[in-house]
Amino acid sequence: MDTDTLIERLSEDAAPVRRLPAPWLRALLWLLPGLAIIAAVVVAVKGLFDPRMVLADHRMVIEEAATLVTAVTAALAAFQSTVPGASRRWLWVPLAPLAVWLASVGQGCIDDYIRLGMAGLAVRFDGGCMLPMVLIGFVPTIMIVVMLRRGAPLAPRLTLALAGLAVAALANFGLILFHTGDVSIMVLVWHFGLVMVASAVAAALGPRVLGWRHRASNA
Amino acid sequence: MKAAQDGDHAAYRTLLGEVTPVVRRAVKGRHPFLSADDVEDLVQDVLLSLHSVRATFDSRRPFLPWLMAITHNRIVDAARRYSRRAAREVTVAEYPETSDAAQTNRINDDYRDPEALRQAVADLPKGQRVAVELLKLREMSLKEAAVISGMSVAALKVASHRATKALRVALRARD
Repeated sequence: MDTDTLIERLSEDAAPVRRLPAPWLRALLWLLPGLAIIAAVVVAVKGLFDPRMVLADHRMVIEEAATLVTAVTAALAAFQSTVPGASRRWLWVPLAPLAVWLASVGQGCIDDYIRLGMAGLAVRFDGGCMLPMVLIGFVPTIMIVVMLRRGAPLAPRLTLALAGLAVAALANFGLILFHTGDVSIMVLVWHFGLVMVASAVAAALGPRVLGWRHRASNA
Repeated sequence: MKAAQDGDHAAYRTLLGEVTPVVRRAVKGRHPFLSADDVEDLVQDVLLSLHSVRATFDSRRPFLPWLMAITHNRIVDAARRYSRRAAREVTVAEYPETSDAAQTNRINDDYRDPEALRQAVADLPKGQRVAVELLKLREMSLKEAAVISGMSVAALKVASHRATKALRVALRARD
């Protein structure tokens, strides 16, 4: 087909499209249902959630804030990365809250070591936190993938890595609310580790999940 | 572009028409060694990509950076595809032999008896004989043979098929 014919066909095919909202608005639209789910889970297991315990622990407040900010900025960066010509500086922003989170957990590990000795650094498997994490993460995962597919897959691996980071950080934010009292090494290995794994797996799946749509029909 | 997002076909056609030379220039600038066909392929890829993500354009932002981001992305992708293919495939002047010469040299027993074959062809009905002579012996295309023989392409196909069958029978009977 020559290019003029293609232009003709495309212009005939040009149905009206709904403009995508700004990335920050999309990030907000994604975040709200996730927070609602977390609230619902917290209410459902209210026996385990003690706001005084969360607020009393200074380090925990920082950790929670850092996780939530990581989730928001990662989602924002993911949406930003699907807009052609948008500034790419945003893509680095999630690293800052992520570093704060990591530093806070690291500080916790050191505290635990001083307090408990080697016992404070013992890692054991804790399957209990997996189920609520999956429950919290399920809907945001589906949502962010569907929303991202409406954008341009300019850097699918990076976009999905950021999306994975956003979802896992949000799930962590919810989890810590009613999963208090863990030693920091557990948080570091299981929670932070899971965030990294989720991000890496998402990055690997990037090109399969997000791709130029005309490829399929054109190939 | 804003009008195009709202479904204005004429505006969209004008836009794509104006965008195409810009994209073509960008592609040629990046890969001056590409053939005209390859350049056009890439330009069309960009247009299709632009079309599929036209919802991402925000009319409050400038158009050109949006367009060039898509163009750049497609050019880089194409280069990646090209290098991946180049790494997998090898261009050779001559295909390597897959079996030794003794097996491939079958001149002596391929047409066991050329005279018998000639006789069998001569014995065919006229239509079939003409089909074999033009299509098989003189290796003409169906269209050329149709012009010369005055037969239709369909008739030539049928005649050639029947001739092959008849020759097979005749030569097998002789063996």
